[in-house]
Amino acid sequence: MPYEDKVLTRKSKADKGSGDRMGSGTVLSSGDKTVPDPILSPDPLSTQRPKISSWRQFKAILRKDIVMELRTKEMITSMGLYALLVLIIYYVALSQAGTNFDVSRISAGLLLLAIVFTSMLGLNRSLVHEQDQGQLDALLLSPIDRPILFLGKAVTNFIFLAIVEVIITPLFYFIFMGNAHTSQMGPLWMVALALLLGSIGIAGVGTLLATMSVNTKGKDFVLAVIFIPLMFPLLLAVVTALNAVILGNPDATTVFWRFAGIAFGYDVITIAIAWALYEFILGV
Amino acid sequence: MKTSLKWAVVLAALGGILTTLAFVGAFTYARMQTNGTVNLPPAVARQVIADSKNGFPLAPPAQQPSSPNLLAVQKPWFSQKIFFFHVPLAVASLLVFTIAAIFSVLFLVKRKKSYDTRSRIAMEATLVFIIGTMISGDLWTRASWGVWWEWEPRLTTYAIMTLLVIAYFVLRNSVEDEERRAVYAAVFSIFAWVDAPVTFLITRILPSTHPTLTGLETSNLIPFMVGMAGMCMLGFAIYELRFNEVHLHERLDALKDDLEG
Repeated sequence: MPYEDKVLTRKSKADKGSGDRMGSGTVLSSGDKTVPDPILSPDPLSTQRPKISSWRQFKAILRKDIVMELRTKEMITSMGLYALLVLIIYYVALSQAGTNFDVSRISAGLLLLAIVFTSMLGLNRSLVHEQDQGQLDALLLSPIDRPILFLGKAVTNFIFLAIVEVIITPLFYFIFMGNAHTSQMGPLWMVALALLLGSIGIAGVGTLLATMSVNTKGKDFVLAVIFIPLMFPLLLAVVTALNAVILGNPDATTVFWRFAGIAFGYDVITIAIAWALYEFILGV
Repeated sequence: MKTSLKWAVVLAALGGILTTLAFVGAFTYARMQTNGTVNLPPAVARQVIADSKNGFPLAPPAQQPSSPNLLAVQKPWFSQKIFFFHVPLAVASLLVFTIAAIFSVLFLVKRKKSYDTRSRIAMEATLVFIIGTMISGDLWTRASWGVWWEWEPRLTTYAIMTLLVIAYFVLRNSVEDEERRAVYAAVFSIFAWVDAPVTFLITRILPSTHPTLTGLETSNLIPFMVGMAGMCMLGFAIYELRFNEVHLHERLDALKDDLEG
């Protein structure tokens, strides 16, 4: 049957060694919406050049995204503003809670909720960019290894998420926990570590899922539907660890390290899977 | 008729018979389990013990009330009978889920369209069995724990699995291009499958109120194993029969296209 044997060919090995022209202006100048022609028509001579190192490929992807962000300032502005709006909604939601209500008991969850929503917005945006301006196609034509492409995108997503977290976590503290019972609170680096483990997982898995969801009909909706169930174990582990630090109960250190360990294990496993599967979803 | 189809029909029949046998056995052969005690006047208690051949025993001396006017009788645990269907349903759901994941991997390697169809059909069967597990489990938690739902490790991980399987179909329906849909669905189902071993092993790792299979007595074990075998056969047969149907449809469509084309 012709139908039965329908086989999709993908990723030719040839595109790996096609020169080092991605290093300079071509992909980087994505702000002006045109993809330069040379990258679409490979130069036959270039196959003889040596392969670029993975580290340089990685740096190029990272530089592209950061330069683009510095020009448009779109990701940070939209994510930061969105996070701020979520905090304002928290204020509205908690405004009638009364003075006896101890916000610190639920603050770990509230903070993580803001981060999750913001990260979904950011993930979606970061890949919608790639899609809209045809950058993903250009990236696929460039001699970049697929796993490096994944790593580059995931790291840029992580960086933007981390910047937003650095802004909203102190804000959250000052708005909601200024007069909460925080004398018991554990060291700050523990909070940072819990958030770091959470952000690594969100950026790693989120990059894979967002790459899929931008190619679907209901972009943001599909991302939420596939992202939240997969993230569930990580979110639960991070909230438990954060909560232990903030409340500072006697067994806080034990609980923190156990759940930080779970979050770490989740990150390692899921990022390994995402790393392995990422090249399949590109170029189809 | 194709050999695989013949086998599927045989398995479906056998699975149906075994599941029915397990159903009958659960209420006749399996000894009634008890859960807690009830205090009755001695005359009533003796009547109950004499009338019921299959259970309702006198409670051990430690559980007897101090008052001489009352006698404690162990309460029969009717909701425990759900166990004979709930567990096989859950195991069958994990089985077909695993089939879906295996064909997803095969699809990503070989890129044959029929593997994608197999994976999708197995996912549909997974959804059916998951719904069965969820309903029977909910009835049990209501009867035994007094709540409809509890955020307990096994229930939580299984609920995530439910959401992942639903998300699989949301993702599928939202992609128009055929090959892209197949690849995305395969990638997502491999990712989602990671939850299957987690939900299977979680009651052995974390402290959990969900019962585990330990120390089952023979009269309960036999109908349970029969039900388990029957349900797994049914799961596989449902998947195989449905696949054959869909596969025929797709071949027919392809032929029609060829004729028109």
